[in-house]
Amino acid sequence: MLVSSSGPDAESRAALRALMRRLPGVSVMEGGASVESRGASDPPNLRPATIIEGTALRALRVPDFSPEAQSGFGAFLDGTQKVQVVGHKVGLPIVIGTVSAAVRVRVDRRMTTWGDELPRVERKFYLPLRYLPALVELAADAAQANWQIVDTSTADRSGEYPSQHPTVLLERATRAVEQEREQLEDRMAEAWCARGDSPIFIDGGISRSKSVASSPLAVGVVKSHHTLYVEGDALGIVFGLRKGERTSVFRVSPRSRHSVMSWYLRLRGGEGRDPLWGLVRVEVAERERPSDRANEISRWIMAETTPLSLPDGRWDKLAYGVRDCEEFLRAIS
Amino acid sequence: MSEALGRVVATERKPNTPHEFHFWTAINSPVGIGTIVRVDGAQPMDGQIPHIYGIVVEGFSYTDLQSPMHDVLGHDGSPTLAGFASTERAEIRLYTAAVLRQIPEEPLQPVPMGQVFLAAEEDVHVALRMDSYLKEGANTGIPVGVYRAGGTDAVIYLDAEFLLGPEAAHLNITGVSGLATKTSAVEWLLASLFTHFPEEKGSIAAVCFNVKGPDLCYLDQPGKIEKSDEALYEKLGVEPKPFQKVEYFAPYTAKGLALNTFRNNEELLDNVTPLTWGLREVLQYAEVLLNKDDIDAKADALIDFITENVVDKEFPADGILQKNHRVQSFAELDAWFRDILQGLEKKNGESWRTHHVATIRKVRNRLSNISTRCAGLVTDSGAVSDLPFGSFEDKTVYVVDVANLEEDAQDLIFARIVSKLREHLERRDLGVKHLVVFVDELNKYAPGDGPDTYVRKMLLDIAERGRYLGLVLFSAQQFRSQVHRRVVGNSGTALFGRMDPDELSTPGYAVLSPATRTKLATLEKGQLMIRHPHFTQPIFVRFPRPSVMQGREGSERYPQSSEISLEAAILRALRPLDPTITLPWVQEITALYTEQEVIRARNATLLARPNDVKAYFSSQFLKIIPAQPAQRPMAGSIRSVPENDPYGF
Repeated sequence: MLVSSSGPDAESRAALRALMRRLPGVSVMEGGASVESRGASDPPNLRPATIIEGTALRALRVPDFSPEAQSGFGAFLDGTQKVQVVGHKVGLPIVIGTVSAAVRVRVDRRMTTWGDELPRVERKFYLPLRYLPALVELAADAAQANWQIVDTSTADRSGEYPSQHPTVLLERATRAVEQEREQLEDRMAEAWCARGDSPIFIDGGISRSKSVASSPLAVGVVKSHHTLYVEGDALGIVFGLRKGERTSVFRVSPRSRHSVMSWYLRLRGGEGRDPLWGLVRVEVAERERPSDRANEISRWIMAETTPLSLPDGRWDKLAYGVRDCEEFLRAIS
Repeated sequence: MSEALGRVVATERKPNTPHEFHFWTAINSPVGIGTIVRVDGAQPMDGQIPHIYGIVVEGFSYTDLQSPMHDVLGHDGSPTLAGFASTERAEIRLYTAAVLRQIPEEPLQPVPMGQVFLAAEEDVHVALRMDSYLKEGANTGIPVGVYRAGGTDAVIYLDAEFLLGPEAAHLNITGVSGLATKTSAVEWLLASLFTHFPEEKGSIAAVCFNVKGPDLCYLDQPGKIEKSDEALYEKLGVEPKPFQKVEYFAPYTAKGLALNTFRNNEELLDNVTPLTWGLREVLQYAEVLLNKDDIDAKADALIDFITENVVDKEFPADGILQKNHRVQSFAELDAWFRDILQGLEKKNGESWRTHHVATIRKVRNRLSNISTRCAGLVTDSGAVSDLPFGSFEDKTVYVVDVANLEEDAQDLIFARIVSKLREHLERRDLGVKHLVVFVDELNKYAPGDGPDTYVRKMLLDIAERGRYLGLVLFSAQQFRSQVHRRVVGNSGTALFGRMDPDELSTPGYAVLSPATRTKLATLEKGQLMIRHPHFTQPIFVRFPRPSVMQGREGSERYPQSSEISLEAAILRALRPLDPTITLPWVQEITALYTEQEVIRARNATLLARPNDVKAYFSSQFLKIIPAQPAQRPMAGSIRSVPENDPYGF
């Protein structure tokens, strides 16, 4: 997932003008201020997982890996999101969120856009309608138009409404944009799993969608480690992985998500660096003979470590194909 | 409609202008330097979609790699491992094109964003404004070659009005030697001109000066043509055959026996005419052979006096001259000088008719020297054999071979022939309406620096005023930068073959993009870059190999004759006039005469071209009664003494 920033497009500017007509007194922010994704709202945590390869977590060398190894991935999927505060009405943030996702397929070692499911770019306004009643009618009209309004002031599961605090509302908007992006990515992944013909490298987890989580084609590669699926001594095994080593396969069964097989894999030597440097967690659908599957997928992922994704700061974990998706989406969104 | 092959792009750092734009293509697109493309604008202007035609002048390729070091790190410093990467980096082909034409032409605006297409043949015609002179009924196009790119084969035409006048004229070719570019291009272009020159514009001929090697010596002999060239000939509408009418002219060698040309093989002498001039012809162009130190005002006055009052006139004896003179040859002129100088010496005089004795000696020395310096061309006898001024024929090539001559003789030939051509064209009595003069090695004849020679002045004159007369200069050289700027500057059309990188680094080529210069430095045989008044940018074309025998092949097939005996030389010269002449006949006729007398008789016969060659040639010799072997007087028979003569009587 990439967070990018640039000014609103012409369509969004037109929408903003319509919005300002309905809502006098909006102070517009020139160029629109981009908001960085704040990541998960929960604190980082450790969560134990069930080992399904052996009985205890171990460090295992990926067998038969060499620089000449060929990757089995035929496609890459990633999404981007952009959150822009384009104005305020008495302190209430008026946000435009842009999400996009694309599948890029590899043909003769070159990346090109998948023609079956074209890349998607979606823009929406994220407004606290509860506190801006003048816009409620506009929201209904907007549904007819090319742009939509998402209410960021709805009640949560416990029935509580967010306060009027601008930061709270902005966090709500950011979270909503993130969900939009995840849904878009999931739709693209599902499309590939239904019609694709080769394994796809998905940036992030695959457990949100049932069809993706169970597809033999989907391989999720998670770069962030907000949740670590080990604890105790096993942490040392994960952090102690050397380049080309993986952990035993374990089962990840998050709440409200679907169960997948997972393992940690060290892509690059991390001596003298952060313990998470070059470390990814892989998610695939549950299959028999998890060892063989994990070794095969690990070899493919290792083969994706060249070319480097520099100058991206996440180059230690970011596959070039995923970076290509991000650059592509940056160009079109 | 063909598929788009690119898209116009512009950034603040690299914006498009009315004369230049940028576009990207797929990596495997058939675009290269010199490719002509068409941009279809996205927004109509006055109800018309703008079309912009451009030629690619620069190309860029890069990846998303920020530093070469990243590639090294990514492959652990091993180039071999780089080949195993699963993915190639994203790569771009970005091109810069120079605008050839915008439609509509007004208002002239920066090139808009739009799709880029490979130019089809009709696009090429529009882009190069050829549509203005390829109209039905007013077609003045002369095919010069084929533009070829990405499957498009388009014939490129020059406008005869701008190649041979009157709008613009002259053509200049530059290219390194030895790659069959300059001479081949001229041979091909002459063939195309002779085929396509519009009839309503009148007749056309060419005079080519062969200044080096045998390149132009076999224009009437068929050459080897490959299949690919045949296809080009067909496309260009020219028959692949040698020139039908070619006349060769060459002076004799210094000895005067054989013609001083690579084309002196007996099998090819049919259309080779000796080029010999006498005193009058040379004296008019004495300035060519005499430098400024030689010709001061006094010497000039004496030469004028000789030209006006002495040559071909009865010059009576006076107090100094001891006898009457009629000067028609260098030998007679020398006798005239000798007579004056002896007269002055006898009378201890210092001047004759206001001309100081020192001036007279100087002029005598310089003029008499000419016949030595130009031996073979200038005859002491005064015999003249010249180009057929006044009866030039349509679509005929006249080749003057000066390749083996001294520089002075070359200059003299060049100056006189071109001056005569000019005179006749001014009087409209040359025989043809348009004449192309081809001169190679322009570096030598019209250098940018160095002394202001007669030849250079004359070339400048042709370049600046020749087009009004129908006198068109096709010139060639290896280093355009070393040729006088006004000569090349007045050439409406310029062709460039493969170029020397040093030459390309001179300021004259700064207008070309680095990529275009690189392409010029690596052009294949048969490729040219063309500049023409209708083309706003240089265009690359291919032209077919000339369908004439190349110099090297010709000189192998028809080896140059070595210096031959006097009798053989006479036989060789006269046999084309009368095939019944044999060597024994020549030997018999010439046995009693000196070499000078025999050569004089030959020259006179060649000039007269009589019906009865044998009789005419024989009549040139003074009657000498051949010595008869002395008859031994018959000894009187001794009467036999009768045996019975007792007295012994």
